[in-house]
Amino acid sequence: MNPSAKKILVLLSVIGLALAGCGKNKATPPAPGEAKVFKIAVIPKGTTHEFWKSIHAGALQAAREQGVEILWKGPQKEDDRAQQITVVEDVISRGVAGIVLAPLDDRALCRPVQDAMREKIPVIIIDSGLQGKDYISFVATDNYQGGVLAAKRMGELLQGQGRIFLIRYQEGSASTTERERGFLETVQKEFPGFRLLVKDQYAGSTTESAYQLAENLIGRFPDVEGIFCPNESSTFGTLRALQESQLAGKVKFVGFDSSPKLVQALRDGHLHGLVLQNPVKMGYLGVTEMVQHLRGQKIPELVDTGVYLATKENMDTAEIKALLTPDLSILD
Amino acid sequence: MKRKSKLRALINLLAPFLGLILVLVIFSSIPDVQSRFLRAANLKSVATQSVIVALGALGMTLIIISGGIDLSAASNIALSSVVTAYAINAGLPPLLAIVLGMATGGLVGFINGSLITGLRLVPFIITLGMMGIARGVAKWMAGNQKIDAPLTWVNELMAKSPQPSWLLLAPGVWLMIFLAVATAVLLRYTVFGRHVFAIGSNEATARLCGVRTKRAKIIIYSLAGLFCGLSGVMEFSRLTVGDPTVAVGLELDIIAAVVIGGGSLSGGEGSILGSMIGVFIMSFLRNGCTMMGWPNYIQEIIIGVIIVAAVSLDQIRHRRSA
Repeated sequence: MNPSAKKILVLLSVIGLALAGCGKNKATPPAPGEAKVFKIAVIPKGTTHEFWKSIHAGALQAAREQGVEILWKGPQKEDDRAQQITVVEDVISRGVAGIVLAPLDDRALCRPVQDAMREKIPVIIIDSGLQGKDYISFVATDNYQGGVLAAKRMGELLQGQGRIFLIRYQEGSASTTERERGFLETVQKEFPGFRLLVKDQYAGSTTESAYQLAENLIGRFPDVEGIFCPNESSTFGTLRALQESQLAGKVKFVGFDSSPKLVQALRDGHLHGLVLQNPVKMGYLGVTEMVQHLRGQKIPELVDTGVYLATKENMDTAEIKALLTPDLSILD
Repeated sequence: MKRKSKLRALINLLAPFLGLILVLVIFSSIPDVQSRFLRAANLKSVATQSVIVALGALGMTLIIISGGIDLSAASNIALSSVVTAYAINAGLPPLLAIVLGMATGGLVGFINGSLITGLRLVPFIITLGMMGIARGVAKWMAGNQKIDAPLTWVNELMAKSPQPSWLLLAPGVWLMIFLAVATAVLLRYTVFGRHVFAIGSNEATARLCGVRTKRAKIIIYSLAGLFCGLSGVMEFSRLTVGDPTVAVGLELDIIAAVVIGGGSLSGGEGSILGSMIGVFIMSFLRNGCTMMGWPNYIQEIIIGVIIVAAVSLDQIRHRRSA
């Protein structure tokens, strides 16, 4: 017992010395070169969805063109507000030239963003809005317009008559709430022939939770004729449920965002429309604008990256194809 | 012989710190972040980030020592934060809102304890049920979305730069330190504290020795609930909104902290100091990984490895001393 105890003591003293050494290092100024290459933190809402990978690809592309470095870091749990606050605080501690942030909450992220601006770290908001004006630019999709586009497509598919579902995404998510609002208001205004069987059910943040909800809803209303889902995970979950219950293709289905599986479904006629954003452009512009700002150029306060509708007919045109299957080879 | 046992005592005292020291040494020797990692500003933000899990871990330590488990801790935190936000939004004075938030947590804990002793079911089942119930009630109360409550001094409790500035750390951090010390004293120097250990070591024996196990258990779960309630208040303070979907899966972080700190899931063992070290090991790991810009999966793998390593080291130590 005694020798091993000694070993532990030796180990402890070594660690103590190492710590003392580190204390000294703290006083030395940060390495030169930090000033030359900007390091920009890009903070998404999550890291596993296809959408965020596209943003990552766009951000990387911009970084290569501009000769800057990217620190890509999302909350450990997809869509966890508290953890995203932690990530923002940590990159402030680390010290970066600028932050490009897709806030999970329009209010909860205000304080950390204010902290960043106070520490002279400029912040550009992408994808979803943030209350207040403590940032230098907002680069996003007009989400309301996306919902309007989906409602019009649904109206066209069903000739404005029928029983439909609006499956919501998650409580308190600003961008999807806007899409849902755009869809709902357009349906109520322009298509009085639609009957909304469901309009207050939330799919939750995962494909699994969306799948279960859709399964239950289809079980309860088997005569549904049209469904709209406001993001990728809810669209895919619902698609799986439709395919399982042999209803895929029969029920008119409009989704939002893209992934390989959804593209296949569009080709198979299981999906009748996908509203698309341009996440690659969003990531690209977020970083490019940040670099321009850091170099002293003036940048616009608001940039709309546009919404597009993909259907079976137009999915092979060059423009839509680039949005449906964005080139992510840069991430490898 | 005596010398040996003294040395042994010293090692046992320092052993829990080893993991934490190791994490600190690793990150402060990576050139990329070393100039930033040990800065006061970063230590401050890590301390603030730890408060929510730490408060939950105080109660969880009591429960785990008594041989139980609380899977509803994170849902309870979310529910309490929603209640606090709801109360402030309804125009109640902030202090009353805090009391209501904590009382909600305490009530959930009390129900847990009463059901466990009353129905004679294992804590795992009762708290698993409560996990869903509390989460559902939180969503229902918040009307299926987050509650935007007006800003009050409650939101200053977790501000990284506190007012007045002589506080140095956020009031929530001071509260965490104070409660950790108080709980450690409660556990070590009071009759109730010894009863907690006795129940966890052997409940039947404890009962035969005259410990009122049922009553003690209800108190343990209620106390833990109160801690979760306070943690919920802190969560609201940090988010500035009442979010019913917050802290999903946080109960596992809390349990992991207790286990890394030497708590035994079969009861009878654990310490507040150990649990707090567990909390800080995980906070510093998260912080360091983010500062390095490492992807999340690396972080998750590291934390998983640490849990297994910490517990097996603990086991080896125990086998030797046995």
